[in-house]
Amino acid sequence: MAVTIKPGESYGFFTDTSICIGCKACEVACKEWNQLQGDSPKFLADSYDNTGQLDDQNWRHVKFIDDVPAQSADAGNGKAFLMMSDVCKHCKHASCMEVCPTGAIIRTEFDTVFIQQDVCNGCRNCIAACPYSVIALNPATGTAHKCTLCYDRLQGGLQPACAKACPTQSIQFGPLAELQQAADVRLAALHSQGVTQAQLYGRDDKIYGGLNAFFLLMDKPETYGLPNAENAKLPSRNDVGGYVGALVTAVLGVIAGIVAFRRRGTS
Amino acid sequence: MTNHWRDIKNADLILINGANPAEAHPVGFQWFMRAKLDRGAKIIHADPRFTRTSAVADLYLRIRTGSDVAYFGGLINHVLQNNLFQDVYVRNYTNASFIVKQGFGFTDGLFSGYSSTKRAYDISSWSYEAGSDGFARRDMTLQDPRSVFQLMKTHYARYTPDVVSSITGIPVDEFKKVADLVGQMGKPDKVMTIVYAVGLTHHTTGGQLIRSGAVLQLLLGNMGRPGGGMNAERGHANIQGNTDHAISWEILPGYLRIPAPGQKNLDDYVAQSAPKKSDPNSWNFFGTNYRKFMVSTLKGWYGDTATKDNEFAFDYIPKPGQNSSWMSIYDQALKGKMEGVMLSGMTAASIGPDSNQVQQALSNLKWLVVMDALPTTSSEFWHAPGVDASQVKTEVFMLPATHWIEKDGSFVNSGRWSQWKDQVVPPQGQARHDHWILADIFSRVKALYNQQGGKFPDPIMHLTFNYKDPLKPELDEIAKEINGKDLATGKQMTTFANLKDDGTTTAGDWIYTGSYLDSGNLMKRRDGIQDPKTNDPTGMGFYPNWAWSWPLNRRVMYNRASADLDGKPWDPKRPGITWNGTRWVGDVPDYPATMNPHDPNAYLPFIMNGEGVGRLFSNGMIDGPFPEHYEPVESPVANPLHASVSASPVAFLYDQAAGRPNRFGTAAEFPYIATSYRLTEHEHYVTQHVPHLVQLQPEPFVEIPWELAQTKGIKTGDKVRVSSKRGKLEVLAVVTKRLGSMTVAGQKVFQIGIPIHWGYVGIAADSDPSHGRYWLANALTPFVGDANARTPEFKAFLVNLEKM
Amino acid sequence: MIYLAAEHFVRAPQWTWYILGYFFFAGLTGGCYALATLLRLVGDARDEPAARLGFYASFVTLLVCPVLLTADLGASWWKFWHMLVDVTPGDQGLNFKYWSPMSVGVWALLVFGLFAAVSALESFVLDRRAGARPLGGIAGLVFNVIGGVFALFIASYTGVLLSVSNQPIWSDTWMLGGLFLASGLSGSAALLALLTRYRPDAAFSLGRLHEADGYFSILELVLLVAFFLTIIAAGTAGPTVPLLPLWLLALVGIGSSLVVARGHMRIRPAGGSAAIARAGTDTLVVSALVLLGVLALRAAVIFSAQ
Ligand SMILES: Nc1nc2c(c(=O)[nH]1)N[C@H]1C(S)=C(S)[C@@H](COP(=O)(O)OP(=O)(O)OC[C@H]3O[C@@H](n4cnc5c(=O)[nH]c(N)nc54)[C@H](O)[C@@H]3O)O[C@H]1N2
Ligand SMILES: Nc1nc2c(c(=O)[nH]1)N[C@H]1C(S)=C(S)[C@@H](COP(=O)(O)OP(=O)(O)OC[C@H]3O[C@@H](n4cnc5c(=O)[nH]c(N)nc54)[C@H](O)[C@@H]3O)O[C@H]1N2
Ligand code: SF4
Ligand code: SF4
Ligand code: SF4
Ligand code: SF4
Ligand code: SF4
Ligand SMILES: [Mo]
Repeated sequence: MAVTIKPGESYGFFTDTSICIGCKACEVACKEWNQLQGDSPKFLADSYDNTGQLDDQNWRHVKFIDDVPAQSADAGNGKAFLMMSDVCKHCKHASCMEVCPTGAIIRTEFDTVFIQQDVCNGCRNCIAACPYSVIALNPATGTAHKCTLCYDRLQGGLQPACAKACPTQSIQFGPLAELQQAADVRLAALHSQGVTQAQLYGRDDKIYGGLNAFFLLMDKPETYGLPNAENAKLPSRNDVGGYVGALVTAVLGVIAGIVAFRRRGTS
Repeated sequence: MTNHWRDIKNADLILINGANPAEAHPVGFQWFMRAKLDRGAKIIHADPRFTRTSAVADLYLRIRTGSDVAYFGGLINHVLQNNLFQDVYVRNYTNASFIVKQGFGFTDGLFSGYSSTKRAYDISSWSYEAGSDGFARRDMTLQDPRSVFQLMKTHYARYTPDVVSSITGIPVDEFKKVADLVGQMGKPDKVMTIVYAVGLTHHTTGGQLIRSGAVLQLLLGNMGRPGGGMNAERGHANIQGNTDHAISWEILPGYLRIPAPGQKNLDDYVAQSAPKKSDPNSWNFFGTNYRKFMVSTLKGWYGDTATKDNEFAFDYIPKPGQNSSWMSIYDQALKGKMEGVMLSGMTAASIGPDSNQVQQALSNLKWLVVMDALPTTSSEFWHAPGVDASQVKTEVFMLPATHWIEKDGSFVNSGRWSQWKDQVVPPQGQARHDHWILADIFSRVKALYNQQGGKFPDPIMHLTFNYKDPLKPELDEIAKEINGKDLATGKQMTTFANLKDDGTTTAGDWIYTGSYLDSGNLMKRRDGIQDPKTNDPTGMGFYPNWAWSWPLNRRVMYNRASADLDGKPWDPKRPGITWNGTRWVGDVPDYPATMNPHDPNAYLPFIMNGEGVGRLFSNGMIDGPFPEHYEPVESPVANPLHASVSASPVAFLYDQAAGRPNRFGTAAEFPYIATSYRLTEHEHYVTQHVPHLVQLQPEPFVEIPWELAQTKGIKTGDKVRVSSKRGKLEVLAVVTKRLGSMTVAGQKVFQIGIPIHWGYVGIAADSDPSHGRYWLANALTPFVGDANARTPEFKAFLVNLEKM
Repeated sequence: MIYLAAEHFVRAPQWTWYILGYFFFAGLTGGCYALATLLRLVGDARDEPAARLGFYASFVTLLVCPVLLTADLGASWWKFWHMLVDVTPGDQGLNFKYWSPMSVGVWALLVFGLFAAVSALESFVLDRRAGARPLGGIAGLVFNVIGGVFALFIASYTGVLLSVSNQPIWSDTWMLGGLFLASGLSGSAALLALLTRYRPDAAFSLGRLHEADGYFSILELVLLVAFFLTIIAAGTAGPTVPLLPLWLLALVGIGSSLVVARGHMRIRPAGGSAAIARAGTDTLVVSALVLLGVLALRAAVIFSAQ
């Protein structure tokens, strides 16, 4: 329903995979609005997925995890044939933003993570950093691309194209606090129905300080190709260790050099 | 739909049979999810395949294609045996109490009156016993052995859980679980909806498959109630409008019957077409007003020429002696009896069934006109891969037509809402609107008649064509004309109740009367969720000022049945209409607005029927008054109920009737069951031209049960050949556990899934070296259809499977 | 798709040939400068020609670096300077993120470039006019030392840069910075040893360079073992297996430098390494193998995560 969009507030997505029907309307709506051509058609032999990944041409990607048991009567409810519309998580502590050397990646006035195309110079450091494999380089522009959380639409007071297109409201857009509340209610409802494997991902700060685009999952995060809380770490975790390793080597190297080059003998 | 999309959110239980709404109706599917999320409704999906709908349903039943009559029959039996039906409703609102004539019977799979030489029934024994007043006799105790209730109880007693399981392949315990849930829906404070689509209609038993669901709904007291009903999810964006305006050969606009040979005048026509009153308290609204509707239609078409003296030009209307449904057209062409065909907005060769035979039929034509915005397999059939163009004599004309986004006009959705839309983009290139093309052709034909005369020029010469520009009629003008007007005052008609049979009113399609008033086009109304308080005063989701729904802006049909005998809603929390002491309030009542339910002469609730009540037993079908399970024409098993009459005894067999060789296969040669269907990513064939959608599903494939694939060494991505008696498909395999084996009549069977979307036209075919030579799903399907509607049996046939 | 319960779901940044080239030359430019500084600082007066050779080599290998980095940007190459200057509207200024090795590295490269250029120029002047000391005494040494610190940084940060990511292998170890540095030093020693062929007066340092190379190689070997131990512990070592030939090549480099170094360590008591008058075929072969090993090591690391 209608959301008023004000700069200065945090916005994001609550994606409820338990009601995703894998229709890919989000994928197409995103391409249409953002004028993405998409890749040349290719059959991927992976259930109903022929998009394959998030990248510069696909800022939304619906994953299919096709593992229906033989006794399938009770397998519904979003538990067996898993579908999940994946997107940039707009991480509160964003790995991409952390490493970007040009300052191209910023948090917008809507608290979303945005790559400024005129600033980005295509170094791809963000690609190496994003733990969700969201960003890819567009070879034509030489810049990194990903979901903008429809920055242009938000500025115009419109909700993102993907959320608008989603028929089941699997993708819900809104102020983060409201979404988090809605997610808690939904999770409680599922748990009370005995769907105990349902879990929220990125709703609290255990994953990158919280994700502005967070999810309700029907299985472990790894099943969906998402790092769990233990593995969700920022690139900067290796700064000190990496430099210390280098420093120790440098010291030993210098000592080695001194040993080899030291003045010795009489000549 | 008896109800409408938004109304699905009011249900407690949703049975989905023969439909895959998450994929084929994703936008409407939001209301299934709302029911589930907001009120904890349960969704039960019965489908041969575990689909994207099954993925979010509460229960999934792997059902054998073509066996839903047994499934519903089992549920009916469960409800009857355990007295779970809505007693007051069944007694008063259905024909359970009606006594059926002596002589009606059912033995060994055949109802009384069957002639095997004609492959048809004489249905005279399928009617009620008349009482002394001439009306049907009734036994309100429902104890009379010849009451509909008792006959039906006996009929369905055979559908025990074991029998249901052996026919449908649904394990007994799973069926019982569902029966248990469904059995709770006969209580006044519970309501269930049944949703279906072409998974039921695309069978030789299609009509009866739907009727069996409707019968169950009547027994549970769910017809006419918000959250209930028997709801067909329709196809193309405006297929409901098409049907209403007589796309089918056997009807005129507004479901008036097409006149039959031998009907000399209107009296003959009305006598043979209009329903007759069979209970003193039945209003029989349709039957009573049949003549008014027909005369107003004729008056709309022939204006001043239509006078009382010439029976309002009844003579001008064709009275076809032959079935002219879809397959019949190609059957005629195969026989060389068809000169030309004009196709508008459809692709004959892809639609099938039995595309190879259809292509043969097309090449028997002298000419073929294709009106379309894009090339189709029909416009290109003459040089399809494998076809020698020099051998095809058919002259093919491609008339560039505008696509629907290039014009305004109305779309009528499944819920009968006629919603006016605007033109999105101007016509591209030289494209013309279909109605302009037709108007131009009409004016040229008329000119030819003028110049050269002809056998029977009157229907052409006298047709009213009062548009500002007769070569370019506006859809707005046509919409206004369809509504009809009072010829005396020149005012738009406001309701079909005021239509007259004296030639003073017109109606292009009586069920649309009231849609376009002097005050304007009500289909343009958009008072919706921007202000739910004001726009949905009942809170039931009727939104009366959003667009316009037929009839008379009513949102739930038969809504008198949503209230009890006193006029109080069965469930006060979910009222349809309510008698407030002076009038009916809520939805637009399907009943006289001020008729007191306590009046001894008050009409029965189903005002359109002759009976005035819902029909558990009907003589309106040519294949039986009670739905009975028959096997698909191609089936791996004999009917477990009556092996001697295995398939429908009255389905029309075109090839046999025309003396052509049989094109049906046997299980020995073609051991696997196949069914065909849509994927969410494509709209039939036309989206093969849309890059973004071709990317989502680039190549044709078939879905193969994992277990079967193991035995054949087939992996996802392998190329396989699927063949039937009629043709073959050479495409990729998708191996999945979503399809599995089942035990039917003690035999292990596999079902193979075949998406329909590919052919030799479009982006993928263009980039394929063989141009999609073996990509037409309908190369496999049988040339046979529903006994009643002749809708092809696209959903059940036999195939073989080989790894290539 | 059934995803495996593994740690990384990240996409490769497609850093390939240009970056491999850059890493190689960054290792050499930093290594050569560091060695040159050490030679001048702690070495014999007769080591000065080799030191100058080092400054020259450092400068020349440095020149290639920005070219490779810019070429790697592809269509955005003309925005290379955005690394240094933030052009975000309303937020213009210099870019410096101490926690982003790429950001730090770019600045370091710029500063080091200055040192490398000045030191090369100084060497040039010194070579022309004997006796001149443009930077003179202590100040010159301090200048070299500071440059040397940057040099060590340049030779090592590329490894840290890889680690500061979420890539499998790269981000699972802290050894890459050291590993790249050790191999960079080893490669630089080999390069300088090779170059003494073309500067006879530097031949004095040849043995000492070989000796240093030996130590660096030992260091490298230890780090390589540590590297494998850490990624095996992280459970991500799998993808390194297909790159076995590259790892072997790197080991050949290490091994051959050890062999040669051993020889030099042995002749030292008998009069020092100055006993070798001129770089022979063995130096040629060994240096080539070492340099190849340096390249192979970087390639193996880069490709094992992509
Ligand atoms: N994305 C998309 N949406 C569409 C269309 C499209 O082409 N693409 N087409 C539109 C049109 S014209 C139509 S008519 C509708 C059709 O809408 P649907 O009827 O929902 O579409 P289908 O996929 O043909 O069939 C529905 C399901 O019926 C199942 N089925 C087959 N046989 C049986 C059976 O005997 N019993 C039961 N219980 N299930 C059976 C099939 O496995 C399939 O999952 O969709 C409309 N919507
Ligand atoms: N095996 C098998 N076969 C099936 C089915 C199945 O389930 N299984 N389903 C059947 C069903 S339910 C259906 S509805 C059919 C669908 O079969 P079709 O109706 O043939 O399928 P579409 O691709 O939707 O074709 C519509 C055509 O209309 C054109 N068009 C769009 N707008 C306009 C317009 O305003 N004017 C004109 N002149 N043209 C326009 C489009 O370009 C397109 O070529 O297929 C049937 N065939
Ligand atoms: S998901 Fe990746 S691209 Fe998106 S904000 Fe997080 S780190 Fe950046
Ligand atoms: S590619 Fe662009 S956005 Fe990504 S790190 Fe480099 S400059 Fe930043
Ligand atoms: S928010 Fe906008 S850019 Fe991001 S996925 Fe949705 S539609 Fe695409
Ligand atoms: S539009 Fe919604 S339901 Fe459809 S795939 Fe995307 S998230 Fe799922
Ligand atoms: S294609 Fe159009 S009509 Fe069909 S579900 Fe989508 S929006 Fe509705
Ligand atoms: Mo359809």
